[in-house]
Amino acid sequence: MSHSVFISGIGVVSPAGWGVEPFRLARTAGQPLPRHELPGVSGRTGYSVHRVPPLSPRPPYLGHARLRRSSLVSQFAVGAALEALGEDRSRIPQGELRLGVIAAVMSGGVNYSRRFFQEVLVQPSTASPLLFPETVFNAPASHLAAVLGCAGRNYTLVGDQSAFADGLALAADWLSQHLVDRCLVVGAEEADWMTAEASNLFDLGPTSEGAGALCLSREPHPIELTGITSPIPYVTGTPTTSDLPEIPFDDPKVSLASLRPVLGEGFAAAGAWSCVAAIQDVATQPGRTVWAQLHGSNHQAIGVGFRSVDRSRPGE
Amino acid sequence: MLFPRPNSSGPPRRVLVTGVGIITALGRGWADHAEGFRQGRRAFRPVRSFPVIGQRTSIAAELDLPPHLPPTYLSPRDEARLDRAARMLLWAAHEAWTQAGWTSNEQPLPLVLGTTSGGMSLGEAFLRQACSAPPNRRGQATRVVHYQAQHQALDLMKAFQFQGSTTIIANACASGANAVGHAFELIRQGHADRVLVGGYDALSQLVFAGFDSLQALSTTQCRPFAADRDGLALGEGAAVLCLEAESFARQRGAERLGEIAGYGVATDVHHLTQPQPDGLAALATMTAACAQAGISPEHVGYVNAHGTGTPLNDRAEAAAINQWAGHLAPQLPVSSTKASIGHLLGAAGAVEVVVCLQALRGQWLPPEIGLDHPDPLCRFPLVTQPQDQAFVHALTNSFGFGGANASLVVRR
Repeated sequence: MSHSVFISGIGVVSPAGWGVEPFRLARTAGQPLPRHELPGVSGRTGYSVHRVPPLSPRPPYLGHARLRRSSLVSQFAVGAALEALGEDRSRIPQGELRLGVIAAVMSGGVNYSRRFFQEVLVQPSTASPLLFPETVFNAPASHLAAVLGCAGRNYTLVGDQSAFADGLALAADWLSQHLVDRCLVVGAEEADWMTAEASNLFDLGPTSEGAGALCLSREPHPIELTGITSPIPYVTGTPTTSDLPEIPFDDPKVSLASLRPVLGEGFAAAGAWSCVAAIQDVATQPGRTVWAQLHGSNHQAIGVGFRSVDRSRPGE
Repeated sequence: MLFPRPNSSGPPRRVLVTGVGIITALGRGWADHAEGFRQGRRAFRPVRSFPVIGQRTSIAAELDLPPHLPPTYLSPRDEARLDRAARMLLWAAHEAWTQAGWTSNEQPLPLVLGTTSGGMSLGEAFLRQACSAPPNRRGQATRVVHYQAQHQALDLMKAFQFQGSTTIIANACASGANAVGHAFELIRQGHADRVLVGGYDALSQLVFAGFDSLQALSTTQCRPFAADRDGLALGEGAAVLCLEAESFARQRGAERLGEIAGYGVATDVHHLTQPQPDGLAALATMTAACAQAGISPEHVGYVNAHGTGTPLNDRAEAAAINQWAGHLAPQLPVSSTKASIGHLLGAAGAVEVVVCLQALRGQWLPPEIGLDHPDPLCRFPLVTQPQDQAFVHALTNSFGFGGANASLVVRR
């Protein structure tokens, strides 16, 4: 029985715009995208971040009851996921397609969490009950499931940039066990002054926001997931080498650091963007596996490999 | 490699529990909890960890942490940086690790954790200080790092000197059950011989105020499935389990504490915080978990309900249990141990697996003392007094915000 896993679709929401193509163009241009100042508490400044430009006109899905008052991280997650899912979306509510959903976040709904706790510190009895439910890590994945009418498996994983790779490994397991027919894996984050304040402590550079999504399938598609390395957890510090031992030395690679000058530090979203970038690079390097190297900020290092499938060769 | 996995042909493997650790407001360790749950002891008190002035209630199942941590490979400096939640996790892990007789530096050991808040108290402290004037960044970097759940996972690896893949599941109040379920699947499918798995969450001001803002906290006493129930009570704690493939456990002569036999998972898309009134997702998870275990409702001797004590949750779960059990419902004992220790959020699912293991080993049912007026919606008998019971299978339910639903079957 074949355990091959393919990429049936990709989606991106980034400071470059809503969609895979603006992301590709920004990467190709290699120029830093514009930054915006976020006001901090008591008018403090110094929080210069990359924001996702507003989507105009707003697509109908942002009018879904679940998304009208949701935080931006949920809207980004849904935007990227719908692009990755494409026309398969219509097959979900009828049960024709069993879809799994896996979200990866580091900060998650940090904006609502910060606002809610600030309200608590002022007067707990008047803290808004509208904010609190959106603070849970799995709110974006839940909203995505509701928009899709998807009652299947739905996990939210927490970690650094590498959590997205953990999500891909989990999705591959679900597919190999035939628990789902397709699996969306989404990495998403939103900007907030509190995240920027935290990042400033570690010289991570400007923070960013957005989402990236891969849709995984057992059915053949032009791009194949070839490998996810064993993780190297940072138990005794961060590895000094840039390589993971299971990645062949000569294989082309996309690192988180290569995206940062253009897009900023997008944490779990950046894990997804790196994989999308590797998939885009596969098209220019036929027959080769391109690896997304996810050396996370504070958890682990892990690599994800993709290659194009040459359908002219028997067995491919 | 995480993918492709080593080829694991052959039938699914049985998954045994060989070590258990638990810490809640009932106490610390297996013995405290077996006695407490068997008697239906309640462990609530006014919250001391943070201010609750101006809120509708001040009660929670808050625990007293021991002044010192158990002996591990963590340095005093490492220990000093652990927050309350990480300390609970370490206590539970130490008990489980010791009981299982696991040793360090063996093969890669996957770690699966469920939590909703990680080191939330450090996140709160970070924001308080970030908002202070004049700006003061002293200690803030440490708070940022140790707030995050992945660091608690790394601390655990360091404490017991192992490495491996980490999966941290944050599926709201089903996180702990999902963690156990995922660990179960890793072993069952042959992807790992052993997995360390657990759930943990500490009380925090943000979460307490959050449930208070939703008017979900009981202002009287948490009474799951009572006709006049008025909300949940929060708790805190951790539970950790050592899971092993049966063949692996037998080979090394490990004591079998019980077996994880089935796992069901589904998503309720009805509302972010409210269940679909008929509990259809809950029905789906209970059915799926039993199907995987190869049993039907007649084989289940006890259901440890999610049973938060909120009007909507208990109604939906009661509807699901009624439908799932069918004509057998009047003979199916059900209780919610949240009446004793409160709702432990991300820890709840793992803790309630431990409750089931203890009940199965001791052949007793955990009661909800003081439940005088059960909701007539419940066609099943609620356990209201300590009682002995011969049974082989228990089912435990966990449902959370976002529609995260999970059920597990535990076998004696």
